[in-house]
Amino acid sequence: MIKKKSDELSIANKELAFQNKEKETRAAELIIANKELAFQNVEKEKRASELTIPNKELAFQNKEKEKRASELAIANKELAFQNKEKEKRAAELVIANKELVFQNKEKEKRESELTIANKELAYQNREKEKRASELAIANEELAFQNGEKESRAAELIIANKELAFQNKEKEKRAAELVIANKELVFQNKEKEKRAQELIIANKELAFQNQEKEERAEELIIANQELIDRTAQLESVNNDLGSFSYSVSHDLRAPIRAISGYTRILVEDYGDKLDPEGIKILDSIMSNSKKMGELIDDLLAFSTLGRKEIIFSEINMVALVKLVIEEVLHQDGQNVPIFNVTHLPTASGDQSLIKQVWINLISNAIKYSRYKLKTHVKIGAYTKDDSVVYYVKDEGAGFDMLYYDKIFGVFERLHSHEEFEGTGIGLAIVQKIVHKHNGTVWAESKPNEGACFYFSLPEPFEKN
Amino acid sequence: MDFQDIEILFAEDGLDDANLTIRALRKSGFTNRLHHVKDGAEALDFIYCKGIYAERNILEKPKLILLDLKMPKVSGLQVLEQIKSDPDIRSIPVVILTSSKENPDVEKCYALGANSYIVKPVDSDNFFNAIKDIGLYWMILSQPSQ
Repeated sequence: MIKKKSDELSIANKELAFQNKEKETRAAELIIANKELAFQNVEKEKRASELTIPNKELAFQNKEKEKRASELAIANKELAFQNKEKEKRAAELVIANKELVFQNKEKEKRESELTIANKELAYQNREKEKRASELAIANEELAFQNGEKESRAAELIIANKELAFQNKEKEKRAAELVIANKELVFQNKEKEKRAQELIIANKELAFQNQEKEERAEELIIANQELIDRTAQLESVNNDLGSFSYSVSHDLRAPIRAISGYTRILVEDYGDKLDPEGIKILDSIMSNSKKMGELIDDLLAFSTLGRKEIIFSEINMVALVKLVIEEVLHQDGQNVPIFNVTHLPTASGDQSLIKQVWINLISNAIKYSRYKLKTHVKIGAYTKDDSVVYYVKDEGAGFDMLYYDKIFGVFERLHSHEEFEGTGIGLAIVQKIVHKHNGTVWAESKPNEGACFYFSLPEPFEKN
Repeated sequence: MDFQDIEILFAEDGLDDANLTIRALRKSGFTNRLHHVKDGAEALDFIYCKGIYAERNILEKPKLILLDLKMPKVSGLQVLEQIKSDPDIRSIPVVILTSSKENPDVEKCYALGANSYIVKPVDSDNFFNAIKDIGLYWMILSQPSQ
């Protein structure tokens, strides 16, 4: 807009300048024309004066001629005629002169008019010059303004260029934004896709959640059942505890009475009985004793199941030596020779493991009873993560055919007369070893001896 | 009844065990005056001269108390607790006699101040020897506090 306006002003200015020059040119031309007219006027006056002289000459000649005319009679007439012609001519000249005078006057008039006009023109010229100077000033002003406008235009151009640059930048940015937009659209689509996938995954999770809630409910029910079952088991265990106590207390009392009263019979009335009667009373007492032992063993076995294991480090060598001493103190017949090799330290319940050794070692002694100079070898070896301890005798042994029975409660492979016992010893051994997460097994051949093994998990390294 | 000069107070609800115990003591040569009560309440009555024992001289204290644990009314454990918390009589030795190895009160008895805890053996030989040993130890070997 500004640039256009500026251009228009510039053009108008140039036009004005041109018109001014045209007018100056015209004024100059008018001056020249004026001078030309003045010169012609002078020339005409000169001519008119020059014409006056020939007129007088002619008038003289006329007189001469009139004189001649007289002289020249005929010629005179001719001359008269000529004269008349000439007069006619003169008259015409006079007329012409008058005309010239008139024209002169006209010219003078015209001259004065021209002078006036000239003055007017001069005035106008001055005015125009004044105007021209004004215009020049205006022009300069305009030129200045033009300059300003050009400067402004230049600034505008720069600004325009800047804007154009910014525009380009913006276009570039817009292009980038378009790309970014496309990218966003793509990402949006990806996100929608992902959202779709998440919705599906969500549904799947919701489903799984449902499943898990159902499972949790089932587990809660199962848990409750377990709690109930545990409570039942605890109750049963307590019942068993009181049952054991009851058995121990209430079964033992009558047997003690039977045994005691039988003893009174033997002591107070023995002399009234024959040997057979005494033998029967002895049988009553020995059976009562056996009954008492069975009750004690049964209770010991039942107590074992409820007993908590108190783990400690066990010096097996010392323990075995102690047990051998204790057991040998009771037994005396054909005591075998003991050979104890190195036994690794174990981790377990000292009193229970001692019971294992007592049962195994007393068995070894018991079943070696009928053989002379036998050996009992006690040793150990490591296998996998366990330590295997063993007691090997050279006694009666047993048939492996009945292997399944030997660890059973009150199971015996020998008669009570041959080898006493209730048949609880190995059952107790097995129970104790199992409670220590170990295993127990045996190898034997009849009359060649037996070897009983028990393994215990290897104790942790000492810090 | 004459409750004078009772040296052994014997609390036992089982008549058979009471008969056999008393017989074992007699057979072992202990002729000391013994009084048998059938439950813990009667044992406390005897000790504190109450009820049927109101006439008894409270200053005549038994030298030994044999106490069965499982008794009607007041249990042996309660009697033990009473005796051992009374400064006047806590020095009397109390021997607990019980039928069962299973009794969970062994530790409790010793904690309350029982002087001995004996499981009555089932067979007559061992029973006889056990009662004999009790008499021998507490009536002869052990010196009472003054």
